[in-house]
Amino acid sequence: MQWFIYVLNGLYFTAFIFLISLGLNIILGVMGILNLAHGSLYAIGAFMAAWVIITLSGLKGVPVPLLYISLISGALLAGFVGLIIERVLIRPMYGRALEYQLLITFGALLLFEDLIKLVWGGEAYYASQPFDILGKIQILGNAYPLYFLLVILVTLIVGSAVWVFITKTKMGIMLRALSLDREMATALGLEIDKLSTIAFVLGAALAGLAGSLIAPTTPVLLGFGMEPLILAFIVVVIGGLGSLKGAFIGSVIVGQIRSIGIVVFPEIELAILFLIAAVILVVKPEGLFGR
Amino acid sequence: MEKSRRDFLKITGGVAAGFVLAGCRQEQEKVVEERKAHIPKSPVRIAGVSFLTGVAASPFGIPGDNTFRMLVDIINQQGGILGRKIEFLSKDEAGGVDTQVKLARKLILDDRVDVILGYISSGDCEAVLPLSDELGGLIVAYDCGTHKLMEGSSSPYSFPKYKLGFRSAAHLSIDNIGLALMIKKHFPNIKAIAGINPDYAWGRDSWAVFEAAIKKLMPNIEVVGTWWPPLFTTDYTAHISALIGAEPDIVHTSFWGGDAVTFTKQALGLGLFSKMRVAYSRGEPIPQEIGRDFPEGQIIGCAGPHYFLYPPPDKWPLNKWFVEEYSKRYGKYPTYPCYHAYQALYSYKAAVEKAGSIVGGWPTVEEVAKMMSGLSIQTPSGHLSIMENHDGVEDVVVGITKLTPKYPFPILDPIEVFPAHMVNPPVGIRTIDWINSWEV
Repeated sequence: MQWFIYVLNGLYFTAFIFLISLGLNIILGVMGILNLAHGSLYAIGAFMAAWVIITLSGLKGVPVPLLYISLISGALLAGFVGLIIERVLIRPMYGRALEYQLLITFGALLLFEDLIKLVWGGEAYYASQPFDILGKIQILGNAYPLYFLLVILVTLIVGSAVWVFITKTKMGIMLRALSLDREMATALGLEIDKLSTIAFVLGAALAGLAGSLIAPTTPVLLGFGMEPLILAFIVVVIGGLGSLKGAFIGSVIVGQIRSIGIVVFPEIELAILFLIAAVILVVKPEGLFGR
Repeated sequence: MEKSRRDFLKITGGVAAGFVLAGCRQEQEKVVEERKAHIPKSPVRIAGVSFLTGVAASPFGIPGDNTFRMLVDIINQQGGILGRKIEFLSKDEAGGVDTQVKLARKLILDDRVDVILGYISSGDCEAVLPLSDELGGLIVAYDCGTHKLMEGSSSPYSFPKYKLGFRSAAHLSIDNIGLALMIKKHFPNIKAIAGINPDYAWGRDSWAVFEAAIKKLMPNIEVVGTWWPPLFTTDYTAHISALIGAEPDIVHTSFWGGDAVTFTKQALGLGLFSKMRVAYSRGEPIPQEIGRDFPEGQIIGCAGPHYFLYPPPDKWPLNKWFVEEYSKRYGKYPTYPCYHAYQALYSYKAAVEKAGSIVGGWPTVEEVAKMMSGLSIQTPSGHLSIMENHDGVEDVVVGITKLTPKYPFPILDPIEVFPAHMVNPPVGIRTIDWINSWEV
């Protein structure tokens, strides 16, 4: 039953990459902005969560559940930083050519790399307590870390909540309207600035949450946001620009192909994802579910 | 009281000898004074370049830098080098090859350092060492591991590659050959091995040396798979499951720092260690980094004879002193980068003192370089020799992890010490060519 574990590994990777690409896609879909600083928001979430966990672990008498609740801290800080980015950097860029947005978000990426160094220093942060405490369980004769199942569960809950928010609530409907036709939404009197801020903060918080969830599984270090940013772009290319369904299906495809690819074609584990993205770009440039 | 003839001769002889000795002493003092006159009053400027930020800072750079600082303090308290105090310039290795080339130029040309002791990254070593001859500055690589640094493109190769460039430690071959020797000695019946190494020069080179050595030593062994995850991968679950599926007896890895920690923790969660052993090249710092969770029975290379329990502190007081001094200052046991830092600083000191005693003053960089080639010094790890190709040669310690009540992490017990001639290629012969020439 080793294949079951391969699928589970793929699901874990799907969960991690889905949260990042979902945030990227919300910002892209609603605001039409390709946020190159999205990886930095993920890194900020990871650093914040790691710092809080390490600090709490150093105190006496801290209840264990608090360590898990503290994972939210990364999402909160990333959301707050997202608010500042949107107000200060992004808002003046509305209506300008795509190149300006790319330049300003790339500049933000470089800026945040130094800011992270300034705030948290250059050392790696090891905050594995939430991972270690949960230990492992046996699934069909194979050991599996319980924390990874927790990440999958949290992602399912958060993903569902975002779906309900976007499709069922008034605010979500307004965000969708904005993503479909910005001019028409403006003409109808929607508060574009407020909606843009909400979309950006939500996207940033999702990236931060992904960073928070990953922090207990690996040391957090400078340059932490680059790998997930590239993977999120692959998901967006495969799933389609601005599509929530696309982000989900794209993440599942990336997660499972990576997991199975590492077993079957270990020499080309990275290339295989880029190959699929290249094929999609040629055959269906808008992505599987893009508009 | 009457003096006998014998007494007279004794007295006159003694007086004559006294005059001769006094003359000699005067001559000696004169030479010493002259030498002192040629030794600048200003401090000797030593730059230490290690990763102070980034992923390699915590496991390698900061322990190395800490050791430099500690030893500089101690040497200065003891009077410095030939009477000159050391001014230590601690520099960050982060930023990539271009940044390091610029920094080395600045250190040699603008800051006028007497020597650069530095570099953990093999890429940085390969980029910076050519500057030694170009700019006329002494550079001693202290920790980087690539076996290609001083080797030529074919065997036999001419040496030294750089007149003023050195490495004061042995290269990656000693760990990977040491691991293969350890496996042959302790696990002679294994049938299958696999490799998981970071997908860049370090990982590829480490596996190439290990694979060549183990295939020579155990010709019937089968390689059931090799995996090459990118550096700084955060999710190894797919690789670990693939390894479990491939069912090797032993997995070779050259993961370091955060990658080694992430891989080990995730492998623990997925139950890898209950199914196979992992042989860690240069893995000595990892058990201390992870603590008691680090699994028993794993095979660990120490990047030389560098271990806080070897040479046994009761038999080799220098290691006892070093471990106590470092632990007192930094609250941790020294790991192999600390020993490497010691080797670099004390090699330079020994070479300067040796050259100084010959030239009668402060030696030039060329004179120091001449003394470094062929130098042999005692270190906390035993003995270090710097060969004519300007590369360090050492024994290697390989051990198997075991939990004891005394330490908060598994120690290496048993350990094996493979002597230098078994794990270092002869000068002038490339590592891979040397392994391929073995007749086992």
